[in-house]
Amino acid sequence: MDLEKLRETAAEVAAREDVKYLIGWKKGTYGYRVAPGFIEDADGAAELIFSPLCTANLATYLTLVEKLPLPRGEEPDDRKTALMVKGCDSRAVAQLLVEKGIDRENVVVIGCPCPGMVDPELLAEKYPETEEPAEVKWTDDGFIVIRDGEETSVSRDELLAEKCRLCRYPNPVISDIMLGEPVETWEPAEDEGVNEVENKDVDEREAYWEEQFSNCVRCYSCRNVCPLCYCQDCILDRLNPTWVNRSVNFSENTAFNIARAFHLAGRCIECGECERVCPANIPLGKLNRKLAREVRDKYGFEPGLDPEAEPFQASYKPDDPEDFIL
Amino acid sequence: MSAMLLNKEKWPDFVGRLTGKKLWAPQAGGDGMRFAPVAEGEVPALDYGNTRVPPKQAVFPQTETLFRFQVDGEKVEEPKLEEEAVLLGVRPCDARAMVIVDKLFSWDEDDPYYLKRRELVTLVGLACTEPGLNCFCTSVGGGPASTEGLDLVMIDLGENYLLEAITEKGQALLAETEDLLEEAKDDVAEQKEKIINESEQKIKRSVNTEDIPGGLPGLWEDPLWQRVSASCLGCGTCTFLCPTCHCFDIQDETEGFDSRRCRSWDSCMFAEYTLHTSGHNPRPSRRERTRNRINHKYNYYVDKFDVIACVGCGRCINLCPVNIDIVDILKQVEEAL
Repeated sequence: MDLEKLRETAAEVAAREDVKYLIGWKKGTYGYRVAPGFIEDADGAAELIFSPLCTANLATYLTLVEKLPLPRGEEPDDRKTALMVKGCDSRAVAQLLVEKGIDRENVVVIGCPCPGMVDPELLAEKYPETEEPAEVKWTDDGFIVIRDGEETSVSRDELLAEKCRLCRYPNPVISDIMLGEPVETWEPAEDEGVNEVENKDVDEREAYWEEQFSNCVRCYSCRNVCPLCYCQDCILDRLNPTWVNRSVNFSENTAFNIARAFHLAGRCIECGECERVCPANIPLGKLNRKLAREVRDKYGFEPGLDPEAEPFQASYKPDDPEDFIL
Repeated sequence: MSAMLLNKEKWPDFVGRLTGKKLWAPQAGGDGMRFAPVAEGEVPALDYGNTRVPPKQAVFPQTETLFRFQVDGEKVEEPKLEEEAVLLGVRPCDARAMVIVDKLFSWDEDDPYYLKRRELVTLVGLACTEPGLNCFCTSVGGGPASTEGLDLVMIDLGENYLLEAITEKGQALLAETEDLLEEAKDDVAEQKEKIINESEQKIKRSVNTEDIPGGLPGLWEDPLWQRVSASCLGCGTCTFLCPTCHCFDIQDETEGFDSRRCRSWDSCMFAEYTLHTSGHNPRPSRRERTRNRINHKYNYYVDKFDVIACVGCGRCINLCPVNIDIVDILKQVEEAL
């Protein structure tokens, strides 16, 4: 993508009177890090980037914004939020519209067709992070890693993130402004991660998740980063009644992780953010993709494609399949 | 007998001698390196950087049952804390963190649970020879070979570990394993100094923290807090993985007629942390919560205990999902002064 064009467009949008700020990606403080940037004016747009390191799904900020009580006499700032989205991120926006979590007129969606992101952990493992900010760029058949002035060409297969291997929608499904031409879609890989867990017998599967959930520290980064986990009153925070105890042990951790996965069935748009941010490396993507697969296979439904669709969990048709219900 | 050599080939024997005590060491798991109890007969390797979760969990478990009780009875049971523990391969920053947290837990009221565990633990440290990318211990009063809080320190000399006892507990450990050790030669001091110097040189990140504690109160309403917290998700990664964060919440939990009172780590980055019963929240947004995190470490704690409650381990930087970088924040604070 043409970076000049991106910054020019972003500057125009950020300068609009009806826009509060634009949320995009900017270079982080070191290594491969990319930070979310909140751009309030045209000048700020010069910081923005779009590269294979922009894995973060910024759609979460649409619902994460805190609405504080206003001092008497002060009017609320009702201006729009502009948001840069990749294909997967745009599905979160579409799903939020389905659920009426946001109003269409309150967002300006800037679509970035996405050739696929690198896996940040894999990248840092193969090409250790440097003190100075490093860059990764797309080439026709892979990536170039630029660190400490040195360029290394890397094949696409070597570094492509798992969520991108599985991706079916690299082009934004919804946008007000599209930056550049749509990318050519690719044949999504078979989801080996989910297959592997599916193929385990019940005991093995239990042992597998027991090990994973035992590592959970309950930091709730998965919940907070998730663009579709936006309940004002989350059951995990409830104390009266307490649905999930504060104790950190396998039982409570399982209750938490399973509750979250079930609440996302038919809603998760597979952006993979939960798994990326988990400090305990729990393969949350497998859990959510398994439920997405069930919903896709059994009901032929995929969330976040059509902002006009009926919400999956909140709709009922007399001819809904039920042959798998015990 | 304060400086001894342990040939690395004898490391398994050394570990074998520590039986009878609960042994903790960094171990690889699905979640990366973490301190975990060592199974009988296992020999932990020490070639690791920093664990993802700090060893504070050995003295301040994430969840601790204070006592058990029955809803319809009068029986109250307190778990007994008697088990001696040895933590192997503690990094100097994490040991310093315990000394810092000790001050809080023995301040107005002694915390019997924490202090008992601290009394029963022996810390065997490992000086850092390969500091991580985000290590900045030298900016906050520590160093890659700091011995503060350690009972015994090990320094990797290549073929051997140099073992130096810092406390009586450390001396005792050396005495117990005497037959495995050799007396260190005179040139070892020089070798050690060289290794420590080299290690210090490898620490890339730094910030001048001198004026920060005194300057923070004046920056209470500074726009920098909005700037640095705009992208914060409000998760507990930075605080739960911090070796000096020590906040907890106490809840009664019930299963049938059995109940327990337990305390679990809490995080000042959570919205419910300061939420009042009335619904009022004195730290209503992530701006105030981020400001509190920095002020607690670099202002209030210094005011009360004369030490910065940050040891520069870099975990919060490494693992923040949105690149909120405490060194960067401190630099912005310094600039705003």
